[in-house]
Amino acid sequence: MPGLDPVIHAQARLRVVSSLSALGEGDRLAFPRLQDLLDMTAGNLSTHLRKLEEAGYVQVEKTHQGRTPATFVALTRRGRLAFEQYTHDLRALLDGAP
Amino acid sequence: METDEEPLSPEASLRLIDAQRERAHRQLDLDPTVFLVPWGLAWLIGYGLFFLRYGPDERVLVSMPGWLPLATLLALLVAAGASSGVAGYKAYCGVAGESAERGAMYGWSWALAFAGFGVLSSRFEAYLPEAQFGLLMGSLPVLITAILYMSGGAVWRDRHQFGFGVWLSVINGMGLLAGPGWHSLVISVLGGGGMLASAAYLRARRR
Repeated sequence: MPGLDPVIHAQARLRVVSSLSALGEGDRLAFPRLQDLLDMTAGNLSTHLRKLEEAGYVQVEKTHQGRTPATFVALTRRGRLAFEQYTHDLRALLDGAP
Repeated sequence: METDEEPLSPEASLRLIDAQRERAHRQLDLDPTVFLVPWGLAWLIGYGLFFLRYGPDERVLVSMPGWLPLATLLALLVAAGASSGVAGYKAYCGVAGESAERGAMYGWSWALAFAGFGVLSSRFEAYLPEAQFGLLMGSLPVLITAILYMSGGAVWRDRHQFGFGVWLSVINGMGLLAGPGWHSLVISVLGGGGMLASAAYLRARRR
């Protein structure tokens, strides 16, 4: 599909970004809950998150809750903008379709 | 390992986005009915017993031990508070950042306000006539709940929540003016019943 953001356009990453966009700005979601929302394996989700992180669309933060390590994921401002642009482009494609 | 599927058509992509966002909201947003039902039941039953045992003009409409209404109301309020705490924790568990912080502060406001009510109630029983003490014990939880609903409405910019707090303030004032006995009836039916009705309304709207 010409003109669409290739980072988001892959189905799995589109679902990741859509889920994270449902969070309020300034909120982060724990990795296991994100995994629950997506029904993805941990390895698969990590792969997609790495790609999104490389594009600057998500921020992955490794921290500790007590003694257990925890990973939190959030959409960056850039990621949110990219997602909005992507949905805008999709609608434009649909409206422009003959 | 790359597991990208075939790219979707624009229609299918938009459907996928909507479905995924809806699923996320369903799991991450707090369902207000989870709070309204236990609190509504506590008030309907607790204040209902108060009205039946301590009716207007000190009439006993249904005979039962004098301690039963207050004990029932307090037990049901504690149960409702605990279930709200668990529901809030579940929804925010795994979410970090502004919403979680806001939710935690708001949750603590409820816990501390009701702990304060507990301490206060134990200090004044000896000094007030039974009917007046009952009115004080009956109206304070409503006042606290009304204030917290209105501030919750302000925090989340939720007009429904704010409006419900206003409704509780108004019926609490009306009940207080009408006096002992009537206050319990008003809060049981219009307060507890009102919470159950708005839970039913919200649930119907969600479908």
